[in-house]
Amino acid sequence: MEPVDPAPAAPPDREQSPPMTAVKTARPTRSGPRSGPGNRPRNRDRLHGLLMSAPAVAGLVAFVGIPFGYAVVLSFYNVRLGSPMAPSFFGLEQYRRLFTDPDLSGPFLRALLNNLTFAVVVVPLQTGLALALAILLNRKLKAIGLFRSLFFMPVVFPMTLVAVIWRLILARSDQGLLNSALHAVSFGNWGAFDWLGDSATAMASVIVLSVWQGVGFQMVILLAGLQQIPGELYEAAELDRATPWQRFRHVTLPGIRGTLVFVAMLTSVLSFRVFDQVYVLIHGGGLDEDATRTVMYQAVTTAFDQNNIGQASAITVVFFLIVVALTLIQRRVVRPDNED
Amino acid sequence: MSPTSRRYRRTACTGLALVLPLAALAACGGNGGSGGTSADAGSGKGTISVWAHQGQKSEDGALQSAVKSFNSSQSKIKVELKLIPGNDYTKTITATDASQLPDVMEFDGPTMANFVYNKKLAAIDSYVSAKTMSNATAGSKAQGEIDGKHYGLGMYDSGLGVYGNRKLLDAAGVKYPTGLSDDWTADQFTAALKALKAKDSDGKTLDLQENNGYATEWGTYGFAPIVWSAGGSLLKDGKAEGALATPAVVSAMKTFQSWKTYVDPNTDGNAFAKGRVALSWVGHWMYPTYSKALGSDLVVLPLPDFGNGPKTGQGSWAWGIGADTKNAKAAGAFLDYLMNDTDVTAMTTANGAPPATKTALAASPLYKQGGPLRLFADQLAKPCGDSDITKSCVAVTRPVTAGYPTVTAKFSDALNSIYGGADPKSALEKAARAIDQDFSDNAGYKIP
Repeated sequence: MEPVDPAPAAPPDREQSPPMTAVKTARPTRSGPRSGPGNRPRNRDRLHGLLMSAPAVAGLVAFVGIPFGYAVVLSFYNVRLGSPMAPSFFGLEQYRRLFTDPDLSGPFLRALLNNLTFAVVVVPLQTGLALALAILLNRKLKAIGLFRSLFFMPVVFPMTLVAVIWRLILARSDQGLLNSALHAVSFGNWGAFDWLGDSATAMASVIVLSVWQGVGFQMVILLAGLQQIPGELYEAAELDRATPWQRFRHVTLPGIRGTLVFVAMLTSVLSFRVFDQVYVLIHGGGLDEDATRTVMYQAVTTAFDQNNIGQASAITVVFFLIVVALTLIQRRVVRPDNED
Repeated sequence: MSPTSRRYRRTACTGLALVLPLAALAACGGNGGSGGTSADAGSGKGTISVWAHQGQKSEDGALQSAVKSFNSSQSKIKVELKLIPGNDYTKTITATDASQLPDVMEFDGPTMANFVYNKKLAAIDSYVSAKTMSNATAGSKAQGEIDGKHYGLGMYDSGLGVYGNRKLLDAAGVKYPTGLSDDWTADQFTAALKALKAKDSDGKTLDLQENNGYATEWGTYGFAPIVWSAGGSLLKDGKAEGALATPAVVSAMKTFQSWKTYVDPNTDGNAFAKGRVALSWVGHWMYPTYSKALGSDLVVLPLPDFGNGPKTGQGSWAWGIGADTKNAKAAGAFLDYLMNDTDVTAMTTANGAPPATKTALAASPLYKQGGPLRLFADQLAKPCGDSDITKSCVAVTRPVTAGYPTVTAKFSDALNSIYGGADPKSALEKAARAIDQDFSDNAGYKIP
């Protein structure tokens, strides 16, 4: 991965501009023998590749593949956790209920919408913030390690703990930390506001606390990406009298493009998994359930509060398909140029 | 990446996709065959495992010392106690296969029917001594009984009330009831809140234990009395439709909703003990904390009356024997020991609960005539059972059905959204439809 090119317009030409004849003669010699005896080493490469990926693939099959297959099967049955009744075949009934029964589809579609809102807001916000923090912390300062670890700290805390702390911050009484801070700042003009209970701010509160908790992780990855950019490029840019913005635009951004794409994808996958904070805040009281219910939350409560495994499986299957589809689309849209 | 390896990958993926469901089915078959379960009396010697929920520190301490003294009182049986956080306790048992469950386990009263239905609990009648059975209070025995067999015995029962801060009530000039007979109506309760608000610096005068969350068992236990007191019911003849969303219940829920402006969110759990609010709607278990904080300023009042007389929830944590135990005799001996006066008294002193054994109840300084918690004893002396809710009875048992997990999940969800501002009528109707759908999916949860 060497995306560092000070003049982005140059490299594509370099390969194409050499005489066409040279390319034409070169190609057959390189890819021609594929069907001949040169096939061997390629085959061996493939074998080695398979061997080396085997542990990961085995893990993937055991912990993702099989459970998912299991979920697909279960979603066609009426299965109750621990019920003495044998699971009965339900056909598409679970799916029908999820999409057409107004009592069930209402919350489910709302949960899907909440998940999408969460992802759409969190991905750019968290990636952008992480980039800003990374740039801020990518300097040669004394004790920079201390600052970096300070910003990384929330990542170390489990989300459940973070949610419990934020419950105190967002408490709706005038003794909630946020409310009392606003009260002080506004010279007493700010009353108690119900951050978690008001449907307008409930999701926003969850987003803020999630970003606060997670941003350090993305920051560290981006920081590593930033440090890959050779200093000479900046020196050269400075000699060319590039402004700081130009340096950011034409040196930094291209330099970490691959990292940025990776971070954005990772964030979006993580953001679909949002569950812990909602669960803890609901059980702690005062969270607007409708405004913050996510699909994962619905699946877990359906399975383990109501013992309805079939329904919960159907929810997860639908959700899995949606997430896979979105990820594929996202990959297509933001695919890094230098993948091959 | 070359096209060939991509093609190879695709075939591999297709292969996997085809094989996976089969593997899953094989996995299904693997653990599906856990035939009939039955407790084995065993030798009455050896180590038995015990699961209990982790509650307040004082309760955990009382239980731990009971186990310790049991272990040192004899040498034949050794008890290993495992405490599991209360919020996930029921889920843990539900998700655990019967064969992995301990010899003795605690469970919350209303979940018992479900565990019996799931074959996770054994009847205790043949393992617990006759003396222990006859010493259990009527309420405790009734809670643990299905089809004439007993599956659980509690060390204590439970009750709900409104704790009042006498000093704050008097300062606001609020007159409060002295017992069940002159109970507040819901309107009087609202008026009291209003009067208290005028004297309160932040306008919050009521604690509804919001910090426990309402989409939880606390929501159902704490606020189903509103439904009962309005003449409704969570479940009537196995159906929620027509019982849960009656006009009276809807209007009672509107009143409940209107209290939110008076409610302290109680994030720190100290709203009442620290004197921030004058009234706290909670169960007996807060008595030790509250009486320590307020002393003689603490008054105990019944929940307000919504038209069908004051009501309270009843039933609490109980002990049973795991269906797959190999040592039921030893388990029974441990239960006998737990129900002795010393341990029941230590436990009920720790959590303020009404003792569930006759001898301990009679000796209880808290619940005897004239005792500070006499009100709870009075309420429990007028039991309704789980379906026969009349105007004159007070203590209602939550529905004894294996479908209770769904009932409580749907009702507490509705309650949570009503508290958050949703329309009570549509929220309750939705819950009723969901409960009925679930019961029809499960053939009414008839215990086989």
